[in-house]
Amino acid sequence: MTLPIHLSRPLRCRVASAWRGVVLVLAAAAAAAQAAPQGPASAPKAEVIHWWTSGGESAAVKTLSDAYRAAGGTWVDMAVALGEQARSVAINRIIGGNPPTAAQFNTSRQFLDIVEQGMLNPMDEVAARDGWDKFLPETVLNVVRVKGHYYAVPVDIHMPAWIWYSKAAFKQAGIAAEPKSFDELFAALDKLKAAGLTPLAHGGQSWQDNIVFTAVLTNVGGRELYLKVLRDRDRAAIQSDAFKNVLLTFKRLQGYVDKASPGRNWNDATAMLITGKAGVQFMGDWAKGEFTLAGQVAGREYGCIAGFGPASPYIIQGDVFVFPKTTNPEAMRAQKLLASVITSPATQVAFSIKKGSIPIRTDVDASKMDVCAQQGLAIMKDKSRQIGNGEVYLTPDQNGALADILTAFWNRNVPVEKVQKDIAAALK
Amino acid sequence: MTTTRAGRRRLRRLVPWGALLPMALTVLVGYLGTALWSLRVSLSSSRTFPQDDFVGLAQYERLFTNERWLLSLQNLAVYGVLFIAACMVIGFLLAVFIDQKVQGEGLLRTVFLYPYAMSFVATGLVWQWVLNPGSGLQEAVRRMGWPEFSFDWIIDQDKVIYTIVIASVWQASGLVMALMLAGLRGIDEDLWKAARIDGIPAWRVYLSIVLPMLGSTVATVFVLLFTGVVKVFDSVVSMTQGGPGTASDVPAKFIMDHLFGRANIALASAGSMVLLATVLALVAPVLYARSRGAAGKGLQ
Amino acid sequence: MSAVPGSIRSLPRRRARRWNVGRIGVHAFLVTAALFFLAPLYIMLTTSFKSMDEIRLGHLFALPLAPSLDAWRTAWSEACTGVSCEGVRVGFWNSVAIVVPSTVVPIAIGALNGYALSFWRPRGANLLFGVLMLGAFIPVQVMIYPLVKILAALGLFSSLSGIVAVHVVFSMPVMTLLFRNYYATIPPELFKAARIDGGGFWRIFAQLMLPMSTPIIVVAAIMQITGVWNDYILGLVFAGRDNLPMTVQLNNVINTTTGERLYNVNMAATILTSLVPLLVYFVSGRWFVRGIAAGAVKG
Repeated sequence: MTLPIHLSRPLRCRVASAWRGVVLVLAAAAAAAQAAPQGPASAPKAEVIHWWTSGGESAAVKTLSDAYRAAGGTWVDMAVALGEQARSVAINRIIGGNPPTAAQFNTSRQFLDIVEQGMLNPMDEVAARDGWDKFLPETVLNVVRVKGHYYAVPVDIHMPAWIWYSKAAFKQAGIAAEPKSFDELFAALDKLKAAGLTPLAHGGQSWQDNIVFTAVLTNVGGRELYLKVLRDRDRAAIQSDAFKNVLLTFKRLQGYVDKASPGRNWNDATAMLITGKAGVQFMGDWAKGEFTLAGQVAGREYGCIAGFGPASPYIIQGDVFVFPKTTNPEAMRAQKLLASVITSPATQVAFSIKKGSIPIRTDVDASKMDVCAQQGLAIMKDKSRQIGNGEVYLTPDQNGALADILTAFWNRNVPVEKVQKDIAAALK
Repeated sequence: MTTTRAGRRRLRRLVPWGALLPMALTVLVGYLGTALWSLRVSLSSSRTFPQDDFVGLAQYERLFTNERWLLSLQNLAVYGVLFIAACMVIGFLLAVFIDQKVQGEGLLRTVFLYPYAMSFVATGLVWQWVLNPGSGLQEAVRRMGWPEFSFDWIIDQDKVIYTIVIASVWQASGLVMALMLAGLRGIDEDLWKAARIDGIPAWRVYLSIVLPMLGSTVATVFVLLFTGVVKVFDSVVSMTQGGPGTASDVPAKFIMDHLFGRANIALASAGSMVLLATVLALVAPVLYARSRGAAGKGLQ
Repeated sequence: MSAVPGSIRSLPRRRARRWNVGRIGVHAFLVTAALFFLAPLYIMLTTSFKSMDEIRLGHLFALPLAPSLDAWRTAWSEACTGVSCEGVRVGFWNSVAIVVPSTVVPIAIGALNGYALSFWRPRGANLLFGVLMLGAFIPVQVMIYPLVKILAALGLFSSLSGIVAVHVVFSMPVMTLLFRNYYATIPPELFKAARIDGGGFWRIFAQLMLPMSTPIIVVAAIMQITGVWNDYILGLVFAGRDNLPMTVQLNNVINTTTGERLYNVNMAATILTSLVPLLVYFVSGRWFVRGIAAGAVKG
């Protein structure tokens, strides 16, 4: 707005400064209006990317969304089947500038690269307030706490190497008692073979071969060897005779598998136990879902063994949520609320019952959980038995390379010395 | 400013280029740009995200000392030859036979085309069930009274790739048939009349006269099948997951595994560069020969 | 004895089709081939009507003992795909919204490209086409990261326009190839005659070439509709949560790492999702007519 030219100079200056003042006041008022809460605050909205898509998993993630809603938040679901796909969608959304509020990853080194790029919001406030250091297992803490900051909230703990057996098949083969050691397990497998049943039900896919190997490494190799090989990647340990024995036991199990196992889905292998056609399966605690679907109950139609011996390690595998970086105060509030809700004892128990996992904290009421989960939770109370899955210690690339070598060894006649050499090279 | 005749002619010559602008943009930005970016990444040590460092040919070295990658290239060659040959032959025969004024042509065409419409995630699983010795075809035939019948290629390290060929041919032959049919239907009717008047048997007509006339259709089909071969992924994942072990692994699956699951985009990019270079090596001599031929005949 | 060639329509009606050996052979081959092609569909259908207990018994080729539509109902409206359990119908209209522009635009551009490349041949265009075809050999997933960045820079990431643009980019090689090779079979005299008559670039395209392209447009439409309808990874990454196609729900129903698998629901869901492309195949029949191009030369 131009000043009329004919005004005298001093008057012009005063009018100009008056206008400047008005503009400043207006600007300040606008800024104040922005900063002040816009009427009643809208409920924190969390868009969550995860890969829990099957019926049982859906019931489990509903417990999370229900708990979130009860705490005042809104859960916006973005489910993407298969972990790899879901994680890649999350990363692409972050890169594309349209990040979700939270994204699921495994309790592993998968999200370290994203942390390095500064693309995640740390949850230090929530961790301090809720006391994560006090109730989270050491293994899990070491994964979610990176350089002193808490970048992920753990959601569950799965154990991938349970040993399941069909009571009907055992009865038919004349096996009276649950095997208490690997030697007794082999004896039981022999009895099953003699009875004309499939001793070991197995799905011949790379990750399932890996599970069998993990079970052998913990039960035959022991905690020390396991950590030396997978955590420390110690070359001497990999080339040792003890590890060779582990590999040979692993390969020996392959002889008890039926010919049609390559490519089989794990559910189809569990189905063999359910129908009493096979005796034993190495699989994670999510297998309970299949048994339950067929109307079978733990301890009645099927049994579960966490490991042999009173000191057998309990392998921790799990899921976490990470929180992509955002400075939007609404989104940050939603993230913090989610992190807090997930770790609460009530949510943990409700989720675990539906998911088949065990809670991330042992200070919960386990009475409503099934016998296998209760067994798992009891073992977890003993800190000396906690140990991480391969992906907790190895990068995704190293873990994958190891899986390739193991699955080749399982399926082909590779000399065990070569396998040891290849593993040493892959885990360098 | 008046437009001269030469000016107008120049403007008119630009029109085709203007129409090709979307293509030019797509090629330069979409394809060339991405390929160059991929090349740059393959020379770095990128994991989940691209890094700016430079490691020379280290990724390529790692690639070619990797047993799984070498096996996947081998599988690709075997699969490629068998798949393309089988699809072309079966597709052509189906098209020719359907063209014979058979009853229920519409129904038959849909029968042969429906595999192409279905997601391979489920149909691949069905094929896995059928080819599985325990629960599939072998078991069914044995129960019908041939206890010695054996069809367990899918668990055999060396033969599993053939099962992928079978399922893939089942899925793609219908499309080849559709393309060949479109080509056949473009052939002048008088040709048949003339052939019959000359007394040439039908099969000779097809082989010596029709097939050459379908030249460009065959070329289209071949290129389509070739791109399918190089990118084959869904069938392997849903049928065998690259197994047993890594016996049926293919380059695309290797690349995908490292791109997402193993968070190693540098190695994955190196793989796709090698794949591209292989295609270029196979295609370049053909293109060169054709352009020489065209030059010989005189440019139109 | 040779089979009677397929140009009977032009002959006088009096000539009856003789059922000679050749004709029987033709039908025998087609029926055998049809059985091979239909076998997996048979298994999918029977599995979808069985209960999970029956499926666990593993008798693949047996007919269902107590066929029921439960799996179908679940697949359509009750299957779990995350927190929500509303089946595959959720994404149906999204898929339609994506497929329609992603078919029309690439076919139009492909036809234009093929036409320009075949008849006008501007300098350097063939080289461009060669590079375009090479691009068709790059696996789609390798190109996702750069495309995400480009679309984000253009403000199109996670939107309907974004996914259509991506489909246009990825289908350009095949569409251009189809039309270019098709136009190569059209006699160049036709084109020359049209130019002498005074036709320009766009007039010849719209009034002469397009009407003649019906068979190849049908084939291109079949390929494009199928490809886009069944596309999963591109829709998942680029379409945005509100535009997710049906295939995302389908994959969520079928695929799971550690969840239970309901095979009967999976089969039903797959068949339901593929009904649209199947319908397109069936109705496209009336356009597989002969002799359009051939007739034009004499006309």
